Amino acid sequence: MTDRARALTLQQVDFAYPGEAPILQDASLSLAQGDFHCLVGRSGCGKTTLLKIAAGLLRPTAGCVRIGDTILDGPSRQIGFVFQTPSLLDWRSVLDNVLLPISLHRSVTATDRARAMDLLALVGIDAHAQRYPCQMSGGQQSRVSLARALVTEPPFLLMDEPFAAVDAITREDLQNDLLRLTRAQGTTVLFVTHDIAEAVYLASHVSVMQSGRITRSLAIDVPERASGDSRYHPQAIRQCEEIKAALAPALGTVTP
Amino acid sequence: MTAARLASIGLFLGLGLIWEIWVTISGVSSLLVPAPSAVLAVLWQGLTDGFLWPHIRVTFAETLLGFALGSIIGFAFGVLLSEVDVLRRVLWPYILASQVVPKLALGPIFIVWFGFGLTSIVIITALICFFPLLENTVTGLRSAPADQRDLFRMLGASRLQTLLRLKIPAGLPVILAGVRVSVVLAIVGAVVGEFISGGQGLGASIIAAQGMMDTTLMFALFIVITVMGMLFYQLTILAERWLLRRRQTGDEI
Repeated sequence: MTDRARALTLQQVDFAYPGEAPILQDASLSLAQGDFHCLVGRSGCGKTTLLKIAAGLLRPTAGCVRIGDTILDGPSRQIGFVFQTPSLLDWRSVLDNVLLPISLHRSVTATDRARAMDLLALVGIDAHAQRYPCQMSGGQQSRVSLARALVTEPPFLLMDEPFAAVDAITREDLQNDLLRLTRAQGTTVLFVTHDIAEAVYLASHVSVMQSGRITRSLAIDVPERASGDSRYHPQAIRQCEEIKAALAPALGTVTP
Repeated sequence: MTAARLASIGLFLGLGLIWEIWVTISGVSSLLVPAPSAVLAVLWQGLTDGFLWPHIRVTFAETLLGFALGSIIGFAFGVLLSEVDVLRRVLWPYILASQVVPKLALGPIFIVWFGFGLTSIVIITALICFFPLLENTVTGLRSAPADQRDLFRMLGASRLQTLLRLKIPAGLPVILAGVRVSVVLAIVGAVVGEFISGGQGLGASIIAAQGMMDTTLMFALFIVITVMGMLFYQLTILAERWLLRRRQTGDEI
């Protein structure tokens, strides 16, 4: 697959439920291959809707989503999706949950199983492969859902505040796992969060959303990214403040 | 054995004892209220001389057949109605109406159609078991969280796969709760069905005992029916526990 075919573009996307106020207006995004793009905004600004449109789960009322040159017209298996909740199947073992994207389409081979175990090892829970989700902590469940999204090595990964429900220390570990895995696979990531520090730590680009519009886009340029200390690098802190300022309600825009 | 279980048994024995004493000192006629000791004696005799067994077998068979038939059809209709929205909207008022009609009131017409005995009673029982399964299946199949349904869409799962691998397993706890309700109703259905149309079975025996003013035998039959009901109920609880053994349950952790 060429680099160009692995680009994800949203072109002037509008979205509204029939007879209701628009949720998204003129939202455009462009992700090159290997980009880690974070979408930051307050609750209810339309981030999740934008993500679902990028996934093909929702159809935009105007505009379009492209993967390379092809217009996306429904959910695509090229796209991995990680939800706010781990959404594991309680009645399946951890390993079976990770293998679900494969087992829905063909019988699972020994190679698949080995690959799933490798992924579980990378997120540090291979010892729990035969356990069931209800025997695991929230952080462990999030790791399983990450492994599930990556098991088919999708070129794109969309994530909807996946770490919002875990404690701060676990969250930092999960962020590092995520960076390691997506860099190894060259995955293009669109990551929704309301946590500015998380966005700056993870992303190569951050877009700020306010009431259905993308109001600001900036490239993140922190030296020694993801070395562990880069969270507290002065440059990182400066960019956090910049985003925070962009998130403050703009003067003159009154939402009904 | 827990303290609560022991207390339950103690309560049962205590009440039986009070009843026994009350019957003895009040001198109430055994035609009205028989003594527990007399009931147990009749029960024991019925079980040992083989009088009760054919009736137990008949009622057992009716309950099981009616329950199986009603549950399977109820489940199948539940799946159909929750998958095909149009069908649900068209058929729901009729299904509801069929449930509001007291099903035992349909007994006489079933006797006209299917004759006295097993067939009519199985159909009445099945009709009673049908609705709890239908309703709980419809509710259960909707219980998969939106995220999981979106996940299956993202993974390109077919409709059948989503049904078999997500909706039915996710709805299983609710569906099994319907099974539990059905199994209890099945016994009621079979026994009362026999009141109307049975020549044999525990319900028919109650009517026969009433004809002979044999109150003691009636009480003995109550005990048999109760034990059978509790047995069925416990079996469904065991099945439920086994089927849901992997799920998060409140008392597990």
